[in-house]
Amino acid sequence: MSNRAELIESGKPFAFDAERDAEFERLAKRYPNRDSLILPSLWLIQDQQGWISVESIAYVADRIGTFASQVYEVATFYTMYHLRPMGKYHICVCRTLSCYLLGKQQIVDYLQQELGIRPGQISEDGRFSLEEVECLGHCGSAPVVQINGEFHENMTVDKFKELLSTLK
Amino acid sequence: MADTIKLSVNGVEVEVQAGKNLVDAVAAVGIEIPHICYHPALGADGNCRMCLVEIEDGRPPLVPACKTRAVEGMKVRLDSEKIKKIQRDIMEFELINHPIDCPICDQAGECILQDYYMKYDGAQSRMRVPQVVKGKKIDFGAGVVHDQERCVLCARCVRFTRLITKTGELGIVNRTDQARVNIFPGRPLSNRYSLNVVDLCPVGAMTSSDFRFKQRAWFLTKSKGICHGCSKGCNIFIDHNREKYQDDIIYRYRPRHNEQVNGYFICDAGRMTYKQENEKRLRTPLASGQQADLESAINALKRRLDQAANPFFVVSPNCSLEQMHAIQQLAAQKKATVSGFSEGYIQEGDGDDWLIQDDKAANRAAFAVLGIDETKEVFNSALKGADLVVNFGNDLSLSGVNNTSLGTAEMAFIGSYANSCADAAAYLVPVASYSEDSGSIINVDGVLQRYETAVKKNVPFPNMLSVIRQLGGGLDDVQAARTSLGNTVEAFKKLDLQNIPAQGLALTASEVGNVTA
Amino acid sequence: MEVKVLSAKFDIEGANKLEIAKEHGAYATLDKLFAMEPAAVTEVVKASGLRGRGGAGFPTGLKWTFLPKGLDKPVYLAVNSDESEPATFKDRYILVRDPHMLIEGIIICCYAINSHDAYIYIRGEYTSQVKVLQAAIDEAYAAGYLGEKVAGHDFRIDVTVHRGAGAYICGEETALLESIEGKKGQPRSKPPFPAIEGLYGCPTIINNVQSIASLPFILANGADAYKAFGTEKSPGTHLFGISGLVQKPGMYELPLGLPVLEVIDKVAGGVREGRKLKGIIPGGSSTPVLTPEEAQDATLDYESLAAHKTMFGSGGIVVLDDTVDMVKLAENLVHFYYHESCGQCTPCREGLGWMLKILEQLIAGKGKVADIDLLLELCDNIEMKTVCVLSAACTMSLRSYLIKFRSEFEAYAAKNASAEPVM
Repeated sequence: MSNRAELIESGKPFAFDAERDAEFERLAKRYPNRDSLILPSLWLIQDQQGWISVESIAYVADRIGTFASQVYEVATFYTMYHLRPMGKYHICVCRTLSCYLLGKQQIVDYLQQELGIRPGQISEDGRFSLEEVECLGHCGSAPVVQINGEFHENMTVDKFKELLSTLK
Repeated sequence: MADTIKLSVNGVEVEVQAGKNLVDAVAAVGIEIPHICYHPALGADGNCRMCLVEIEDGRPPLVPACKTRAVEGMKVRLDSEKIKKIQRDIMEFELINHPIDCPICDQAGECILQDYYMKYDGAQSRMRVPQVVKGKKIDFGAGVVHDQERCVLCARCVRFTRLITKTGELGIVNRTDQARVNIFPGRPLSNRYSLNVVDLCPVGAMTSSDFRFKQRAWFLTKSKGICHGCSKGCNIFIDHNREKYQDDIIYRYRPRHNEQVNGYFICDAGRMTYKQENEKRLRTPLASGQQADLESAINALKRRLDQAANPFFVVSPNCSLEQMHAIQQLAAQKKATVSGFSEGYIQEGDGDDWLIQDDKAANRAAFAVLGIDETKEVFNSALKGADLVVNFGNDLSLSGVNNTSLGTAEMAFIGSYANSCADAAAYLVPVASYSEDSGSIINVDGVLQRYETAVKKNVPFPNMLSVIRQLGGGLDDVQAARTSLGNTVEAFKKLDLQNIPAQGLALTASEVGNVTA
Repeated sequence: MEVKVLSAKFDIEGANKLEIAKEHGAYATLDKLFAMEPAAVTEVVKASGLRGRGGAGFPTGLKWTFLPKGLDKPVYLAVNSDESEPATFKDRYILVRDPHMLIEGIIICCYAINSHDAYIYIRGEYTSQVKVLQAAIDEAYAAGYLGEKVAGHDFRIDVTVHRGAGAYICGEETALLESIEGKKGQPRSKPPFPAIEGLYGCPTIINNVQSIASLPFILANGADAYKAFGTEKSPGTHLFGISGLVQKPGMYELPLGLPVLEVIDKVAGGVREGRKLKGIIPGGSSTPVLTPEEAQDATLDYESLAAHKTMFGSGGIVVLDDTVDMVKLAENLVHFYYHESCGQCTPCREGLGWMLKILEQLIAGKGKVADIDLLLELCDNIEMKTVCVLSAACTMSLRSYLIKFRSEFEAYAAKNASAEPVM
């Protein structure tokens, strides 16, 4: 686990767009306690701008009527929340157990070489970011990789070579 | 009396109060269950695991004492090898990533990790891998400086801001051994009780920028006192020390538990009032506008008072009951009007629904009990005819009375702190402040409390009672004043003023409202 | 060996859609359900012997009976779809291939426990899966199976999907509740148990997806039909996920009680060509590893695996062959549990990181034999001293590797050229 405590300012104010605003209000009716909106709101932020900034946390804390410190806690606790801008293609390689047994390391090695970045980094052109993540729940089709949320099962270096050429 | 229950601790039967958790229940009979995260004001969290105890025939057999209610017939084991090993193990886990910087840590000497290491651990470190690195010297605002590496993640500070002040500035971010206390960027500690997190912190993670590096804890004398910052009368520790070749100086105030008055906490403003005990003190006696030694100044004032045609006494709402009583007696003797006019001490709207009061005076409630008038009308009319005003510590400038509005009367000031009234005085007698004196005060809720002399200056200021006696008063000391109060003031006739209990005495509404004839 | 009870519709194209699911019997139990007394539903579930399929195996029907009676508070149902234990990937099939079976199960459970608000807690990584699930819920609302009047009956049920965001610990039921409440997923001390004081301080039942999805079959066919599968004490079927170094990894529905080695050989095709079986993780990463010798007479049910000093867990079987470096595997697993420690309790927060670093040092050739014993002691020192069992999941499995494959750890220690302690 790396230190996720350092938040970044985007430099511009944040507000939900109309679509997310509607979703926020729909969800608000589903929970008897507004704090329950914290996780969904952070997902909405990430959906809207790709990552979670200082301004956006302050926005949802005030919108929900809760402590910014609590939203900050949640944002840093759950590792899928991006606390800085990611690459256009965010590649998550599962590192655990069955994926480990079936060669996730070859895939990570290949990506490091091909993209010139280590896990946790973003390529200079901003196209790719690489992350090693814990079990993705696809052990029966290991090794598995998730790119922008989409699963790619039974991955091999050869399959990745093909795949990378399609990710512009 | 509260209900009691019997339970067995280490095979010995003890009788404890019902309805408490195991930590508090057995602490009351002198048995310590070590705990780090639990604090009676913040409730049980159960994260430190230091208070695990065995319950014989219990399910489960191992429980956190802070989360477990003491019940009749419970058999608690603290002395088994199993529990002793758990305590050692928890200490080991607490310490593996803790910096070994006690020599430069403010908390040294009053640190739970140091104390528990000596009591429950004592083992050599087995840590042979790199420690976790976190942030140092982080400004949390409100004078709180945080060291994340020293933090044991007990969450006391976080719970304080969430449960007590409900301001929620602090949180524990991240997870794993990367977890750390932090503020959200741009939203620092900003509540008026922030510095309590420094006291609550069981280790040296929360430090006060005001106190940091000024004194080692073990050099401090920790005297009991009552805060005079407002009419709440919060109980405090006055931590002071006389360094070699120096005077006795106060370094900090800390809250002292009193369930009847302030619970476990004090406000930041009150905490900082220790400074006026050290600084801005009146030091130079005056006689007829000239610097004088103390005896000469008092004698000169006595002569002036004896000659006065219309003396007028002004009393501060911060004077003790004993002082006020002596002032009243002297006034009767000298046929002087007494006024406690001090409306400027009241900062309308500044108080909250907890500890902070609008009234920044410690003993205004005594005015009503003793029958001291505090109206502007009486003050003004008495002032008009007066040729000598003897002011006992009342900063009239707060109440909009400037020196020109005092007219032609000559001014005498008997007090501890510099202000414009003292500046205008022809006769000035510096006296001991409350931290150097003893006395009793009544707080806003009618709780009568006493305080004893904490600080002993190299060259002590005289106390106000002795000055009053030298001016012709009849009371020798605090004891004499209390006896006299008991004899003459209706409200006190049934009370033993010489033995006010440590937690104070809640006066009834009729006692507080009583006015002597 | 395979059976099709829960997985009956898994291979039907488009069965995630209401229309096709209905053609194959979805929601057929509802008329029967609403004709029954709620308590009678609970009785059927109790009689079926269904045990919680999330890993702990607690009897589902019995759990429901722990709800306080006559309380003036809402009862909540939380469906645990966090599925984050490494080697576990079974619930995902239900979510994607037959979500209406899950929704029907939720209706059955809500009716039995008198709950009107169900939350499905789904792990954040299931991005495409959550879309399929939400679409099915939307269809169910549109068709009147959810909402104010479920299937025309005077009973309201609202189902809300709550997404996690990358935290294994949220599979622990009280951490899951904290997460729904908008907090970090930090387990609560028990008691109070969730059935008494759960979500928003109200009585709450938390059941695994597979447990809930088993309800339509049980209600439709009766307890005996369910008990016809499996063993006496471990009745029913289970969606087993078989992965690792095996010929045909995948999800297989099997009755409980089958011999583990036979399942690996006959269902999953055995180890790969020319390899030898070295170990079996029987029920998810936290369950202690079995050697082939130990596994000889082990069967896939709660009792047999407990007798073999391991656990049935979540039915995630991992096959390890003779190419596996058990030290590196142990390091991989400790890394997982370290990474997922919520950071609340001292022993877990500080201890798992310490153990991980010791293992890393050992693998780097800087360890010593004493480190192996230190690791074993730390397992003891951490285990069962914490609010939840995350750390125990780590220590129970690590201990099994340290003891059963100690020579491999010693071989790493021997690589340390300087036998002196590393400072």
